[in-house]
Amino acid sequence: MSTIEELVAAGAILPIEVEMSAGGQPMRLLYGTPGFICWLDEIVNSAAPKSRLGEATPAEQIDDLFHAFLVGRSLVHTRQFRAIRAEKNAVWELKTPDIRIFGWFLKKDCFVGVFGNWADQVKDHDLYRGYRIAIRRLRRELGVDDSLCVQGVTPGDVVSL
Amino acid sequence: MTSFHFDIGSRARQAGRFIGRVRGEFLRALSEKKAEAGFSQQAMAQKLDVHRSLINRQFSGEAPLTLRSLADLAWAMDMEISFELKKPIARAGQNQPAATTTIKHGQIRFVKGEIKRNSVPAAPENRQPLQVKKSA
Repeated sequence: MSTIEELVAAGAILPIEVEMSAGGQPMRLLYGTPGFICWLDEIVNSAAPKSRLGEATPAEQIDDLFHAFLVGRSLVHTRQFRAIRAEKNAVWELKTPDIRIFGWFLKKDCFVGVFGNWADQVKDHDLYRGYRIAIRRLRRELGVDDSLCVQGVTPGDVVSL
Repeated sequence: MTSFHFDIGSRARQAGRFIGRVRGEFLRALSEKKAEAGFSQQAMAQKLDVHRSLINRQFSGEAPLTLRSLADLAWAMDMEISFELKKPIARAGQNQPAATTTIKHGQIRFVKGEIKRNSVPAAPENRQPLQVKKSA
């Protein structure tokens, strides 16, 4: 049975941090797979797309989402996060106007991001099923389906509201 | 332990978190209002004489929120907006947000195509959240 520490030591996931505000303290934990970290790095270092929906740039939207999650701010269910399918060991989606992030909750208030993509690409190509299957496969390979995966699908199961 | 520090620079950070805080406050207020009997986005749209899809896109962040639209949405929800700008106050033991980034965050591209490198020094954020309050 793996622990979060063992997953980090093995390089399967890495902790993600953002700059805290003056009075801010982390109340939740955020991790990403190496592939997700590479995608984040590309987002930060690439120019913003010519057309986007949100007033903030994609990188700003992600920073705000991560910051809100880490400092324990209330997230609005379905608008900012939701389970892709109501099932045991669900795959979850974090949302900004332009970005979708897919992953799962290792524990309550502890999310690991696996895939990120533009919201319009996810919707236009209906990528939900593919991401869900890929994340379930990854969890099986890591052997964490039973030990490091929140089973409930209600918002209160995965985040402190 | 290796970790990834997602750093977009202080200027972008302040802008993004401000926009996110305003939007989050409206989403929270909407969520509370929806719990009240007789309140719906359709009713809001009728009250504002706009299409419901516009209201939905404004709340989802897909349509821009102008100062006028913020005021209109708050009015339609029977809420009032409080807003203030104030100088940051340094307190002992608080975090010191970095004035410059320690990773290559590259360039920040603006909508009009103008490219500028982030150079504005960081300032501690206003710790008072923008609040949408029920009007008396």
